[in-house]
Amino acid sequence: MITLTINEKEVTLDKPVSVLEAARQAGIKIPTLCYHEALKPFGGCRLCVVEVERMPKLQTACTLMSADGMIVKTESEVISRVRRGILEFLLINHPLDCPYCDKAGECELQDLVNKYGPTVGRYKEEKRKVPESHKDHIFARNMERCVVCTRCVRMCNDVQGASAISMMGRGNHTRMEPFSADSFNCEYCGNCLTVCPVGAILSRLYIHSFRPWQVDSEVKTICSYCGVGCSLVAQVRDDSIKRVIPEMGLGVNKGLLCSRGRFGYEFINSRERLKTPLIRKKGRLEESTWSEALNLVAEKLSEIKKTEGGSAIAGIASPRCSNEDNYIFQKFMRMACGSNNIDSVSRTGFAAAQKYFEELMGQGITANIIEGLKNSEVIFVVGGDPTSVNPILGLSIREASRRGAKIVVLGNAKGLERFKNVQVIPPVFKEADALEELLAGVSGARGVRGEKPDIDRGISALSGKYSGKSDIGGLEELKNALLDSPSTAIVFGMDLVQRADGHRAIFAVAGLTYLLEARLYLLSEKPNEQGLIDAGCVPDMLPGARPLNIHDFKTKFETAWGGAIPDKNGMTLLEIIEGAKNRDIKALYIMGENPVFNLPDGPFVKEALGSLDFLVVQDIFTTETAEFADVVLPALGWSEKAGTYTNLERRIQLQKKAVNALSGMEDWKIITEVSCKMGYKMAYSEAEDIMDEIAEVSPLYRDLSYREIGKGNCLWPYHGEPLRGEIHELPAMAESSSGNYGADFYLALEKPLFHSGTLSRRSPALMKICPEPTLKISSAAAEKLRLQEGDRVQVSTSVGSVEVAVSIDESIKDNKVLLSNNFEGKGVFSLLTYKLDPVTKAPGIEGCEVRIEKL
Amino acid sequence: MEKFLLKNIENPDSADINEYVKAGGYKNLSKVLESGPKEVVEEVKKSGLRGRGGAGFPTAMKWSFAMADPKFPKYLMCNADEGEPGTFKDRPILEKNPHLLIEGMVISGYALGSEYGYIYLRGEYPEANDILNAAIRQAYEKNYLGDNINGKGVRFHLSVHQGAGAYICGEETALIESIEGKKGQPRNKPPFPVNVGAWSMPTIVNNVETLSNLPYIIEIGGEAYSRIGSSECPGPKLFSVSGHVERPGVYELPMGISLKDIIYNHAGGIKDNAKLKAVIPGGISTPVLPPDSIDCAMDFVSMPKAGSMLGSGAVIVMDDSVCMVRVAYRALKFFEHESCGKCVPCREGTDWLRKVLERIEYGKGTEGDIELLSDIAEIMSGKTFCPLGDGAAGVVTAMIKHFRDEFEEHIKNRKCSLADSY
Repeated sequence: MITLTINEKEVTLDKPVSVLEAARQAGIKIPTLCYHEALKPFGGCRLCVVEVERMPKLQTACTLMSADGMIVKTESEVISRVRRGILEFLLINHPLDCPYCDKAGECELQDLVNKYGPTVGRYKEEKRKVPESHKDHIFARNMERCVVCTRCVRMCNDVQGASAISMMGRGNHTRMEPFSADSFNCEYCGNCLTVCPVGAILSRLYIHSFRPWQVDSEVKTICSYCGVGCSLVAQVRDDSIKRVIPEMGLGVNKGLLCSRGRFGYEFINSRERLKTPLIRKKGRLEESTWSEALNLVAEKLSEIKKTEGGSAIAGIASPRCSNEDNYIFQKFMRMACGSNNIDSVSRTGFAAAQKYFEELMGQGITANIIEGLKNSEVIFVVGGDPTSVNPILGLSIREASRRGAKIVVLGNAKGLERFKNVQVIPPVFKEADALEELLAGVSGARGVRGEKPDIDRGISALSGKYSGKSDIGGLEELKNALLDSPSTAIVFGMDLVQRADGHRAIFAVAGLTYLLEARLYLLSEKPNEQGLIDAGCVPDMLPGARPLNIHDFKTKFETAWGGAIPDKNGMTLLEIIEGAKNRDIKALYIMGENPVFNLPDGPFVKEALGSLDFLVVQDIFTTETAEFADVVLPALGWSEKAGTYTNLERRIQLQKKAVNALSGMEDWKIITEVSCKMGYKMAYSEAEDIMDEIAEVSPLYRDLSYREIGKGNCLWPYHGEPLRGEIHELPAMAESSSGNYGADFYLALEKPLFHSGTLSRRSPALMKICPEPTLKISSAAAEKLRLQEGDRVQVSTSVGSVEVAVSIDESIKDNKVLLSNNFEGKGVFSLLTYKLDPVTKAPGIEGCEVRIEKL
Repeated sequence: MEKFLLKNIENPDSADINEYVKAGGYKNLSKVLESGPKEVVEEVKKSGLRGRGGAGFPTAMKWSFAMADPKFPKYLMCNADEGEPGTFKDRPILEKNPHLLIEGMVISGYALGSEYGYIYLRGEYPEANDILNAAIRQAYEKNYLGDNINGKGVRFHLSVHQGAGAYICGEETALIESIEGKKGQPRNKPPFPVNVGAWSMPTIVNNVETLSNLPYIIEIGGEAYSRIGSSECPGPKLFSVSGHVERPGVYELPMGISLKDIIYNHAGGIKDNAKLKAVIPGGISTPVLPPDSIDCAMDFVSMPKAGSMLGSGAVIVMDDSVCMVRVAYRALKFFEHESCGKCVPCREGTDWLRKVLERIEYGKGTEGDIELLSDIAEIMSGKTFCPLGDGAAGVVTAMIKHFRDEFEEHIKNRKCSLADSY
């Protein structure tokens, strides 16, 4: 315990903090400029000087640690004089262009000068002149206004870990500059904007468009992009979002954001938004009215249900939609259409992995708090780059690295290049073998744990398979790092789920989690992948992750919903697509998803959708899939409706309405209208009513309310009962992957930082940051193919071919070439074929040979 | 007085290891390796040696902090970033007597338990760089550096790191930042480098001259050493004398010698018998002294009483052809140029002071400018992150204190009366 006196007030501290923080705890404000709560103290501005008894000189409160018995004065005539002097110093070269500067009104320097500064300056000479730089698409840099607090640089280096900017020059010529000179070559997180106290770095998205005091409302909501679910504040003026900013200390992200979250919001104002329902007439989609469109949907679905049975109808739900939307969707499919054929594009990764992990390890195995990553001693990253899929989660890994944790990586992970301690690059498409070998090695050293006989048996089986010394470079080191770690986290990306034997990789990771007592994190690309599983948008589970084939659960829901739920488990996503092709499925209802673009083997998906009798697509844009629809229904997007989302930690959060949409209806509302017309009544006046129903019918969500969720700490298992049952029989595992991968290059999916697909490509800012797709190739490949950065190439596979530019990526260390699936007409999925994993039903996209020709 | 630091430098081959050994070099290292590290520390403690970089911190105390820290490796850094204007005392050691420094560093490393040494060399000393590197090579060949020094299993490795021309890198934490490959800017203290220094490890930064005293202390013993010069800060001291004297140069004299003695006896008095106007006794950042204040003992304890500081012992002598406003202006031009930019008072204050001094010197000063200068200097003083800004403010304050009439004259006459002589 430390007790010190600040301004004659006694302050007692639990742990040693700086005098500045001690004063803040006691409610005493000391002015600062270079200090920021998210950053380490710097001591540069000297505004926080205080008098401390028995210290002859004034001390900076931000760098001075509190000590027992210290007597501190934060205001005095001497201190005021110094602060006035420092502010006068800061103003000698400051342009004082407040009437023109966007920061005015929320400028820390302006506020400080108002309170502590001189009224008149004595400086007579010319001020430093530096022209404002608009060379970057996103950031405007005005180095005349810069006060060299270095908060941006410290944020970029010490928190974001991008190290893209620095203070260049010396003394009075010091200025912030990106290493890439004029425009930024960085992660575009914009966290430098958050910490800039003055108008030195501004976002060009809103420059000169409003004044901070002209904001009509500030809505605290969550981001719509990935499975982290960052908290952010949408600032609204004239019913339109002017700016998205984080709030320090708030939410999972604690004031940090990534490029998508901060700059990707503009898609809601896109001109391409659907305005009215569309109905296909004589082969063309034509504008229609809600009543006509809804009647047609209800009529057609009823007819097919009657003639072909409910099992001829299928639904694809959306990890972009809320828990409420998805709950209503599956209820509608099961009760109104009579079908369990409900799945989502999450089947290609998260849903497939999550289910198998829970079967093996019990429910809740993936429900771990992201913040906990920081305190791990070893973080094992496998199957993807966390810093691009879930950037804010990635930052926790970088933070752990700075705190001394070992980062061990299997495969490529671009964003961790400068942070990893051990990296293992297994032979291409043999990752599962490497993981099994690792597991066998770990179990060899740790022995059998004995708590889960099924897993123990599975692990023992592997031990015989891998007994010799490993041929894979670094695997031994990786194994030893894991064995030496007292606290391990495993971060699992979805790349290895997308293999025909993906279940082997999942089993191996589950085995490692089990033996090492590690915490498991699944990367989740979309905001509600976990939520849609929990809401019941899977073919074999009811809301709350209750298996359909357990009679008690089924009857309970039947009673609650007033009707019969079909007995048989439904089809999974790719079975639905194949079913459409085989004419087993006649009608398909797609909510907020774009399977033509987002599933491998695009040509096949198109053919399958073309074979349907009736296709309904509900979305906010006319997507590639909507082109095949019979009816297209305009929905509402992020910020236009309220709803809850479950992030990858399984935290439930509220996404709030901030603006009124010009057109469209909530997804759940459209579905309830159709449902009513089909004779199954559903009536809710708002999303909250749906959550109330979910809380009533699903034991997992018991007693949950918007009020509680709104507090932000709604963590698994809530007040509910997770199902602790495990599998009784391990599904037959595939042997080693049989493929012989000897081709020069293989095409694989790139998950870029700046895009997510349908939404991001309608966000002007993200399109400016990354305007077109590029084929990422290793420098070895570039040499072999005699290609240079920017060369145009034709990329061809057995399925298709696209023309793109190449970009050399040093982080690729095997013979894969990568292309993203984000840009219209140039998505990698249109070039890839797949083979279903028999256990997880995820599409395996491996061994896709590719030809690259320079144009 | 018998010379030790500058011993043998008249020999054109003094930098060669054979010449150094012939003159008795490296025998103190051999002696130390026989007795043990504790004995070295004991002798240093007895000697009362104080750091020669300018602050005069007791060397044994600095060492004891680093030795008390359980972390390893510990780094020993030699501060050879001799950048203070007027200072060139380390240069003869670096260029003429490099093995003395190397021997001193090996002895210190042995005492401290440090196996890695760096010489942070001022970028503007390219000859010294070549000489030091050649000397280090020779020392490795003769087994005075390496993994098994003198066959005693003692390890010490040494390399030279050339600075890139920043004055601030003479500040020990900025020096460490620079060695780590970062921009040279001072760090927060605490933690002090002795606990968290280079690469977060305990790091001892000592000046060239300090480390070069080690062999001497071993040779004559701490006690005998403590009897040289001033009792509170004993030992030989190098003084670099420049400006209007008959014999400018580097003088090895006992600590505590009178400033007047240095100027008039050793340096031969004022050039051409001109009238003495001012002396800057310890490098440009120490306050100027008027002629009536130069009868003072040159050591760390006495100089503050005389109104200045010993600093690096760089004596700058100026006769009455010199305009003091111009001196202040040139000094501030230097500080403005060298301010690292980290803290506001130094970054903006040096710029503003220079601009005001410039306009006074060029006849554009206005009434109130002297008060403005004093005011700026006062706000800077004691509030800057490191001593650089303090020094800059001190220069202006002392100039105004002792030569206020010259400032007033500039403002009143709207010109510098000595301008024609430049």
